[in-house]
Amino acid sequence: MPLPPAVAEAIWRGDALGRGTDTVWPSGFDALDADLPGGGWPGRQLTEVLLPQFSLAEWRLAGPALRRVVAGGAAVAMVGPPKRPHLPGLMHLGLDERHLVWIDARAPSERLWCTEQLIKSNAAGAVLAWLPQAAPEQLRRLQVLAQSFEGPVFLFRPLTARHDPSPAPLRVLATIDVDWALDVQILKRKGPAHETPLRLASIPGGLEHVLTPRVMRPSTMRPVAPMTVPGVDVADTVNESAGKAQVSAGPLLETVSESLHEPVALTLFPEFSHVVGRTDPAASSAGTV
Amino acid sequence: MLWVALILPPRPPAPFEDPSTAPPPHPWGICAETQAGLAVWCLQFTPRVALMEDAVVMEVEASLRLFRGLPALKARLSDEAPDLGAVGIGWAPSATAALVLARCGVLDLGGRLLQAVLDPLPLQALSAGAEHAEPLSRAGINTLGQLRALPRGGIGRRFGAALLTMLDQAYGLRPEAHAWVALPEDFHARVELPCREDHAPALLLGTRPLLMRLCGWLAARHAGATGVTLHWVHDSMRAKDAGEGGCLTIRTAEPIRELEHFCRLMAEHLAKTQLLAPVGELRLEAVGVQALVEDSGSLLPDVVRTGETLYLTLERIAARLGPERVQQPVLGDDHRPEWQTRWRPCGDGRTTSRRKGRQAAVRAPAVPEPAFLLDPPLRLAVREHRPHYQGPLTLLVGPDRVEGGWWDRIPDTKAHRQVTRDYWIAVNENAGVLAVYQERLSGTGNGDDDKSAVQAWFLHGMYA
Repeated sequence: MPLPPAVAEAIWRGDALGRGTDTVWPSGFDALDADLPGGGWPGRQLTEVLLPQFSLAEWRLAGPALRRVVAGGAAVAMVGPPKRPHLPGLMHLGLDERHLVWIDARAPSERLWCTEQLIKSNAAGAVLAWLPQAAPEQLRRLQVLAQSFEGPVFLFRPLTARHDPSPAPLRVLATIDVDWALDVQILKRKGPAHETPLRLASIPGGLEHVLTPRVMRPSTMRPVAPMTVPGVDVADTVNESAGKAQVSAGPLLETVSESLHEPVALTLFPEFSHVVGRTDPAASSAGTV
Repeated sequence: MLWVALILPPRPPAPFEDPSTAPPPHPWGICAETQAGLAVWCLQFTPRVALMEDAVVMEVEASLRLFRGLPALKARLSDEAPDLGAVGIGWAPSATAALVLARCGVLDLGGRLLQAVLDPLPLQALSAGAEHAEPLSRAGINTLGQLRALPRGGIGRRFGAALLTMLDQAYGLRPEAHAWVALPEDFHARVELPCREDHAPALLLGTRPLLMRLCGWLAARHAGATGVTLHWVHDSMRAKDAGEGGCLTIRTAEPIRELEHFCRLMAEHLAKTQLLAPVGELRLEAVGVQALVEDSGSLLPDVVRTGETLYLTLERIAARLGPERVQQPVLGDDHRPEWQTRWRPCGDGRTTSRRKGRQAAVRAPAVPEPAFLLDPPLRLAVREHRPHYQGPLTLLVGPDRVEGGWWDRIPDTKAHRQVTRDYWIAVNENAGVLAVYQERLSGTGNGDDDKSAVQAWFLHGMYA
């Protein structure tokens, strides 16, 4: 039996996308809007964005929606961003000095408290909070308070939180693709499960004006294969330098690093890593993130 | 005419008070300062405020609409006046009747006639009646109604005209004359704590009535304050090095007169304060009183005012984290990225004035700029002449030469912040899009590395 139109409109079926909340902020990506309940980032609830590491794609993903938030004169509050925000870069997103507040909260409890205060007061237009550590019950508290906050609330969390329970009604996993795109997977939403990751074209920070056709596909511009220095065998160098290291470490290090074999020198002398730079990707990411 | 009477309790005797410095006793045995403070607070509701015997009376008929109607104003007064020391409230058509009702613990007429309410009340509630209560009660006259039923000529001859006058004033038959309280030009409030406090956060309890008086005074002047100063005076039995007392000044970004915000800021600051000796007395002063432009009331449901409350929220956060950690940017004219944005504490005069200025559209810079900066730049490893950050970086766009800063001297040294950098846009699949630069380390002002003239790569920003 067909339902009357007014009733049919009010019923949400499990196989359809939910309508989400009444306030929705278009994300700026049409493909993403089509898969988000209500057609955009929701207001009055938390939106959790999981990232492999911080300062990777936060503004690229959330930024286009903020242009509309600040157009109404409201401010965007950042709680504990991982690096120093750079205003000229954010001006490409339509944010300016009147609409930005940087709250340099460091401890996890400070981050949560500041986020809670901002959400509770409903004064900022949008809240972006970086929460490296947050327990589900703390997020639940924020989610309850967020029901009175009109703007979007983005909580950036590490990818390790993917399998933790979360009270946020919308969870998104974002990774980057070097060919000027974001790969976005909606982990949790009101509606059917989201199967295939979305690929969203995104060129950050005003780069679209300077990119030439050649660099539109950086994935084809793989770094060249490591150069082999003629006449020097790597294994020999290791043995040799290991032997000489006990005699004099200083001159040896210079010769080794000048002969384009810093990795060897660094594995032998990790304490000299500040001289020749960091080579271990894990170490350098741990030191800066 | 609608009168409110707020009764104050008798002043408790202070056993350790020095009689020479004690204030002159009030004829009604109440604390004169409390009465004056209550009157100042009442001036926010109406200019017709008067001191009467041991109470403060005010006429609020004309103010009802401004304060959202009679029930709302009644609720507000019943809620707030006890904090300022009022022990009884009465509402009546005349000041004397309101005073009588307040003394008898009757809140208002309850829809009955004034005469019907006053008649059964005891004679002692009327101050002139209390003087003659003894002879009258021997004659069997105990209530106001019985007194009113007696022949007027006889009462006038035996007890004087004052009793008749006051009786008529209570029943609204004769006009009352009041000396209105004038609003003081400066705000100074003082309170003596009921007991000595040696724990700073506990001072908030004594400060709150002072802040209420301040907010009432500000409301009466249509003004806001950009700060308050709380002075405390140490107990006379203190250690020698403790000094006379201390003070705490709280400043706000914008002139405000919101009690709760002042209280929250005061609580955050008092929580960090150490008292050197027990405190016996508090004084409060307003700082930077300015006229406050108030928003008009609206017939339609209110749109939430965002700007002001954001600043209040940020001030609360700044009070806990420290002002230098709640920041707003100011755009600087420089080519070196790290000097293009100056982050200033929120509520700094410069950012506030800019915020109130023009509302032009944001003009995006002409060149690409990263969204995050590393401070300081991170020196990158180089392998096969290629910078590495979480893997080899692919250089896409560049070089973009940034050279300058010779004018920017580091204070007290001969060095300056001259930079010569070639910026590149680099990318790899782990770290995303990065702003890296190459710098020749010799002879560029970084004197330490003069010996090794190497090209070094640095990571400076992230197009996150």
